[in-house]
Amino acid sequence: MRSGLKGKKQNRLKMNRRTFLKLSVLTGTVMGADQIIGRFDSPSALPLQKKTQESYEEKWIATSCLNCPARCAIRVRTVNGKAVKVTGNPLSLVSEGKICPRAHIGLQVLYDPGRIHSPLKRMNQEKGKGIDPKWVPLSWDQALDEVTTRLRSIRDRSQSHKVLFFSGLNTMSTEDMILRFADAFGTPNLISGNGLDVETEKSGNWMADGHYTETAYDLDHTNYILAFGADMLESSKPLARFLRKWGKLRREKPNRTKVVVINPRYSVTAAKSDEWIPIHPGTDGALVLAMGNVIISENLYDRDFINRWTTGFDSYKKLVLSQYSPKDVSKITGIAPEVIQRIAREFAQTQPAIALRGKESIAWPEGSHTSYAIFCLNALVGSIDIPGGVIYQENPRYQEMPLLVEDDMARRGKGQPTLDFRGTAKFPAAKVVTNQIPESLLADVPYPAEVAIGFNSNFNMVAPSTERWDKALKKLPFYVHISPFISEMALYADLVLPSTTYLEEWGYDHSPPGSGFAEMRIKQPVVKPLGGARSIIDIIFEMSKRLKGGPAQSFVNLGGHSESFVKFRTETLMPWKEFLEKGVWLGKDYEYKKYGRIFNTPSKKFEFYSGNLKSLVSKMRKGTEKDFNYLPSYKEAKFLGDKEKYPLVLLPYQPLLVVENGSQNYPWAQEIFLPMHGIGWDTLVEINSETAITLKLKDGQLVWVESPFQKIKAKVKFSEGVHPEVVAIPLGQGHYSYGKWQKGMGVNPNEIIGVDYDTISGQAAFFNTRVKVYKA
Amino acid sequence: MPRWGMVIDLDKCVGCQACTIACKTENNVPHGSPEEQRSRREIYWNKVIAVTNGKYPHASTELIPMPCMHCDHAPCVTVCPVKATYRREDGIVMQDYRRCLGCKYCIVACPYGVRSFNSKEQEEKEYHRQDLPPDRSVWGPWPFPSRTHGVVEKCTFCFHRIDQGIKEGKKIGEEVVPACVEDCPAKARSFGDLDDPQSQLSRLLSSRGWVRLREEMGTKCKVYYLLK
Amino acid sequence: MNLTFTSIEGKSQGFWILAVTLGALSVIGLTCFMVSYIQGHYVLGTSNIIPWGMPIVITIYLIGLSAGSLILSSLTYVFGKKEYRSISRLAVFLAIVLIFGAMIGISLDLGRPEKGWRLFMFFIMNNMRSMFAINGILYGGYFAIGIFYLGFIFAEKSKWTRALGILAMCWASLVHMGTGAIFGFIAARPIFYSPIKPFEFLAAAMASGLALLIITVVSVFHFTKRKFDRKIIFTLSQMLLVLVIILSVIVGMDKLTHLYVPHREPALWLLSGPFSLVFWGLQVGCGYLLPLLILIHPRFKKTIKGVMIASFSVVIGIFGERFSLIIPGTAYPLPFYPGKIEGFWGAAGSFPFTPVESLMSIGVFAIMGLFFILGLKHLELLPLNEGAEQTPVPAEKG
Repeated sequence: MRSGLKGKKQNRLKMNRRTFLKLSVLTGTVMGADQIIGRFDSPSALPLQKKTQESYEEKWIATSCLNCPARCAIRVRTVNGKAVKVTGNPLSLVSEGKICPRAHIGLQVLYDPGRIHSPLKRMNQEKGKGIDPKWVPLSWDQALDEVTTRLRSIRDRSQSHKVLFFSGLNTMSTEDMILRFADAFGTPNLISGNGLDVETEKSGNWMADGHYTETAYDLDHTNYILAFGADMLESSKPLARFLRKWGKLRREKPNRTKVVVINPRYSVTAAKSDEWIPIHPGTDGALVLAMGNVIISENLYDRDFINRWTTGFDSYKKLVLSQYSPKDVSKITGIAPEVIQRIAREFAQTQPAIALRGKESIAWPEGSHTSYAIFCLNALVGSIDIPGGVIYQENPRYQEMPLLVEDDMARRGKGQPTLDFRGTAKFPAAKVVTNQIPESLLADVPYPAEVAIGFNSNFNMVAPSTERWDKALKKLPFYVHISPFISEMALYADLVLPSTTYLEEWGYDHSPPGSGFAEMRIKQPVVKPLGGARSIIDIIFEMSKRLKGGPAQSFVNLGGHSESFVKFRTETLMPWKEFLEKGVWLGKDYEYKKYGRIFNTPSKKFEFYSGNLKSLVSKMRKGTEKDFNYLPSYKEAKFLGDKEKYPLVLLPYQPLLVVENGSQNYPWAQEIFLPMHGIGWDTLVEINSETAITLKLKDGQLVWVESPFQKIKAKVKFSEGVHPEVVAIPLGQGHYSYGKWQKGMGVNPNEIIGVDYDTISGQAAFFNTRVKVYKA
Repeated sequence: MPRWGMVIDLDKCVGCQACTIACKTENNVPHGSPEEQRSRREIYWNKVIAVTNGKYPHASTELIPMPCMHCDHAPCVTVCPVKATYRREDGIVMQDYRRCLGCKYCIVACPYGVRSFNSKEQEEKEYHRQDLPPDRSVWGPWPFPSRTHGVVEKCTFCFHRIDQGIKEGKKIGEEVVPACVEDCPAKARSFGDLDDPQSQLSRLLSSRGWVRLREEMGTKCKVYYLLK
Repeated sequence: MNLTFTSIEGKSQGFWILAVTLGALSVIGLTCFMVSYIQGHYVLGTSNIIPWGMPIVITIYLIGLSAGSLILSSLTYVFGKKEYRSISRLAVFLAIVLIFGAMIGISLDLGRPEKGWRLFMFFIMNNMRSMFAINGILYGGYFAIGIFYLGFIFAEKSKWTRALGILAMCWASLVHMGTGAIFGFIAARPIFYSPIKPFEFLAAAMASGLALLIITVVSVFHFTKRKFDRKIIFTLSQMLLVLVIILSVIVGMDKLTHLYVPHREPALWLLSGPFSLVFWGLQVGCGYLLPLLILIHPRFKKTIKGVMIASFSVVIGIFGERFSLIIPGTAYPLPFYPGKIEGFWGAAGSFPFTPVESLMSIGVFAIMGLFFILGLKHLELLPLNEGAEQTPVPAEKG
C-alpha cells in the first residue's frame, strides 16, 4: 500500500509536469490561433467587399425617365455595362434634381425578365383574354416587310385614313416622329392616351385663356394650395416636382404653405396636408362657385386684375351670387357652410394662392365646366402669371424639321373625318377622344378601320369599360403592337415588334407641364439595347424607307436614325457634346405678368364668359348656341346606374407606384404598392367602415364590386378615409398578359366603369359609375 | 470621432417610399413576392409604416419611414453572441455577414423590427447586381460566401459611401450621404454628425421639437423625427 | 447490499423494430435539415416576425428536461438517498442524451450551422454580454460535466461522484436559469420580459425532467421486464406535484404581472387571442391542472397508471408552455408608433406547421431515442434483473 501511495505521488508529480507542459502548449496554440483568426475576422477588414470592387468600369450617364409623363432627368450608373443605380440630375430645375420612386424602378423595367427579344408573329388566329396567341419569332426584316406591305397596299387603294395609330407613353421625340409619320402616311387617326387623362384640365384652361394645355404652377412662391381632387403627392404631373416642392414649401421658406385637400378619399396628399375636406363626389364645381360667392360678396377679390385683364366678370358675379350661396352648396357638397366660408377667405387672403385641379374632380360628364370654374378661382384672386400662381409653360423650340412631303394620298386621307369624332359637334373642342374608338371600330362608324399600330399603348387596361376595347381589338383585321413586352393590348396583335425601353434609346423630352421656363432633357442609351429591341424612332425610319413616296421623302434629311435625329432637333439649342454630358438644357428665365400677350381669347383677356367656347359652338352646333353654358358652372352629375340598386359611387385612383408604361411586372413597386394600407401585390376595395358595417361585411373578406356593366372581386378594407357613399379602388393591378410579378394579382376597376364623356373635351369620365358591394 | 445620426422631417416627408426603393437599389437588397409578404419574409432595410388614428371625417394617417435606428444602446449589439453585429466607433451599428450565424437573437431583441433574416437562396436574377454580395462566385477566407441565405441583414447607414467619402476627403452629411437621404425627393431626411453643433443635423434638432421612436425602450437611437 | 448494473441484451424483436424506426425517422430528419440548409429557412415556418420556431422550442424544452433529470439524479449521489440508486444512472444518461439533442436542436435553428463553432469562442470572439454566449459556456460545460459525472458513476468513485454531483446540480440549475434569461432579458418582447423567467424555467425544468424520468423509468423497467420499487415512483410523483404547484404559482405570478400596464395588451392577446388554446389547453390544462387533479386524488395518486398519465400530461403540457412562450411571444406585433399600424407591419404573425420543420423536429426526438436505447444496450445503466426483490437495504459503497 505504501509503495502504491509513493508511486502515486511520483506519478502525480510527473503528471503535474506533463500536465503543465500540455496546458502551456495548449494555451499558446489557442492564443496563436486567436491572433490568426482575429486578423481574418477583424471587423474593419471586410475584404470581400474590396475584392468585388477591384476591377470594374463605372460610368454615370445622363438621360431621362419615362415611367410616367413627367420625364424627369436622371443619371444612371452603370458598372461593367450593367445599369445598377438611378439618381436625379441636379441640373434639372423642374424637380431640383430629385426623382420619384418610379425612376428607381426603371432598373427593373430595363431588366424585366418578361421582355420580348425578337419580333413575334401570331399563329393562333383566335383572339381573346386567356387565349394563347402561339407567338412565333421572325426577323426584323420579315416583320417590317409584312407591316409595310400592308400599309403600302392600303395607300395604293387610297384608304390611308383607315390606318389607326395608338400612342401610349412615348418620348416627345417619338411622339413627334409618330405624328410626322401619320401626317406623311395620310391618316388623321392618331389616338393618344390623353383622352383618358386630363383633357378637361386643358379645355377648362382654354375656355378661360385659350391655352389648350395643362396648367403649370409656380410652386416656389405659393403660400396656399387648394387641391380639388388633385393627388399632388401620388399622381399629379410632374410628380417629382410636387414631391420636391412639397418639402420646400412646408419647411424651407419662412411662411409655411398651407395645403387644403378636397377629395372624397383620404389620399396620401390629404394625410400630409393641413386639412382634408371630404366632398360628395362630382360636386367640386358647386363648391368652387360657392367660394367665388364668398370671395366676391366679401370683396376679397383682386380688383385690379379683374378690372384690367378680365371680361365677363359681371355675368360670373351674377351667377355665383344668385345660385351658389354657401348654404345651398353645403347641401350639395356635404360641406358645412362655415367651412366653405373659411376656406374661401383663407384662399383669398393668403397671397399668392393656387387652386389645383386633379382628375378626380374633373374627369366627369360636365368636367370642362368644373375645370373652368376651378381655374377661374385663380383669376379671382389674381393668381394668373404671377410668382406663386398659375404660369404658362414655355416649351423648347426644337429645330424645325424640313417641310412634310404631302402627296395626294396623304392629303386625301387626312381630309377624312377621324374615328374619334374630335372637333365635331359631338366633341367640339376635343383634340382626341380616346375612349370613343371601341364604339367607332365596332360600329364601323364613320368607316371601318383596317390596320392599327400601337406604340406603347395599353388602352384595354387603362380605359373605362375594358371589355369593349377587347372586342374592338379582336375585330381589327390587322394589329401591330410595338412595346418591350406583351402587354394586354399586345395580346390582340397579329405582329409584335419589341421596342427599347427608355434606358436604351435616343430621344429628347420635356415635362408638360414643368416649371414655367423651358427645360429640355436628353435620352441616351445607358446600355446597348437588350435582345433584338429597336427604338421606335428607328422603326419609323425603317418603315418610311420601305413605304417610298411621300412617307419616305418626309423622313430624309432627318438624320436617318434616332441618334442623328435627336442631334438634329436639339443642336440649335445646345451643342451636342455638352447636351450628352449634362443631359439638361434650360431655357431663359420665366417672365411673369405677360398679360398683354398671353391670352388667346377673342377679347385678348382672361374670360369669365368663354368667348372661345361660344365661337366654337356657333360653328359646330349651329342653332343650339343659346342652350349652351359659357360661364363656369355646375350641373348635377349624371351617374351611370340608379341609386337604389347601386348605392355607392366608384372612385378608382392611381397610387404613386403605378408604372405608367403598361406593365406592373416590377417587384419593387409591387411589394409596397399601397403605403396607406401597408400592403402590396394586391388590390383593396376601400369602404367607409360605417358603410361597410351596414352592408354586413367583415374586414378583409372577399367581396364583389358590381356596376351595371361588370363585376370584380377583391378584398375589402374598412377605412376611415373614404366618404360614406364612395368605394375607392386603386388602379394598376389586374394584369393578365404576362409577368411573374403581376399576372393574376389584384383586379382592374376600369373593367366595371361605364362609358361617359365630357362632351366639350372628349375626356372619358371615370368617376360617375355607381356600384354595389356584397359578400363574395 | 463623429457620431452619425439621421433626422427625418415628418412634415416634409411625402410618403412616396423612394427611400425604401433607393436603399434596395443601392444595397442589393432582394425583393419579395406575394407569398413572402404573406409569410412575413420580405426583406426591407428601410420600411415605411402607416399609422392610422381617428374616425371619418377626422381620420389621420401618418406615414413614417423607419431605417435602422443605429441605437447607442442597441439591444441587438448586446445580444449578438458572436459580435456579428457591433457598434463602430463612429456610431454605426454594423452587420458582419461573415460572423453571423443566423441565430436570430438580434431580430427578437430589436424593438423596431428593422432586421430581416435572409430566408431563401435567391435566384441569381432576383438580386439586381451580381457584382456585389451575395455573389456565389466570391469566396472569402472561409469557404462560404458571406451575405447569403441564413444571415441577418439590416440598414447600414450606407457605410460604404461614408467610408469612401472620408477616404476622399469629402464632407459627410453634405456631399456624401446614405442613399435614402440622397434620393428623398422632398429632402425630408438629413444625415450628419450629432456631436458637431455646427452640423446641419444639430441645427435641425434645435429648431423644432423632435421625438425618437419607442423612447421608453431606452435604446438611445440616433434617428430623430421632427413632427408636423 | 450491492446493486450491480448491467446493460440490456438488446436482441429482442421489439428492440430492433424500435431501433430501425427511430433510425429511419432520424434519417428523414437529417434529410429535412439538409433541405433547409441548402434551400434556406423559407421551407420552415419561421419569418421575420416569428424568427424562432420549433427547433428552438424543442431546444429549450430538451434543456429543461435534461437539467431537471440531472438535478434529480443528485438525490442519490448528493443527498445520499440510496433508494433512488437504481434509477440514477438512467437519469444521468438521460440528461446527457437530452442535452445532446438540445445542441442538435440549436444547430437546426441557426441560419448558418457551419458557423456554430463560433458560439464556443468564449471571450476570444464572443460578446459575453449576450445571454447566448453565456449559455454557450453553460451548455458546453454542462455536457462535459454530464459525461464526467457518468464516468465517475461508472468508475464508482463515490467522493468524486458526490463532488461532481453537487457541481452538476448547481450547474444544471444555472443552465436552465440561463436559458430563461435568454428570454427574460429582452425588453422588446413584452411576453418575454420578466425577471421571473429564469425561475419559471427552472421550475419547468424540474417538473418536466422529473415527469420524463418517471415515464422513462417505468417504461424501461416495464419493457425490460424488471421490477422496480413502486414506493420511489410514488415519492417522486409527490415531488412532481409539489414542483407543478410551484411552477404554476410562478407562471401565475408572471402572467399576472404582465396583465398590468404596460404589458397588458400583449398579455391579454396571449390569454385570449389565437394562441390562447395552446396556453390554456396545453400549458395550463395538461401541464398544471390535470396532473394536479390526478396527484391529489386519493385513489389515482396511488396507481402507477395515474402517475404515468399525470407525468405524460406534464411532459406534454410543459412542451406547450415552451411553445406558448416563444411563438406568441414573438408573434405579437411591435408597436413602433402609437396608433393602429396598417397592413402586415401591424399584424400579428402566424406560425404555419411546415412538413420540413415538423419532420426535422421529430427527427431530433428520434435521434435522441436512438442514442438512448443504444446506450441501454452498450452501457451498464440498469440494475440487474434479479426477479422480484430489490429490497432497499442501505449499501456500504455507492
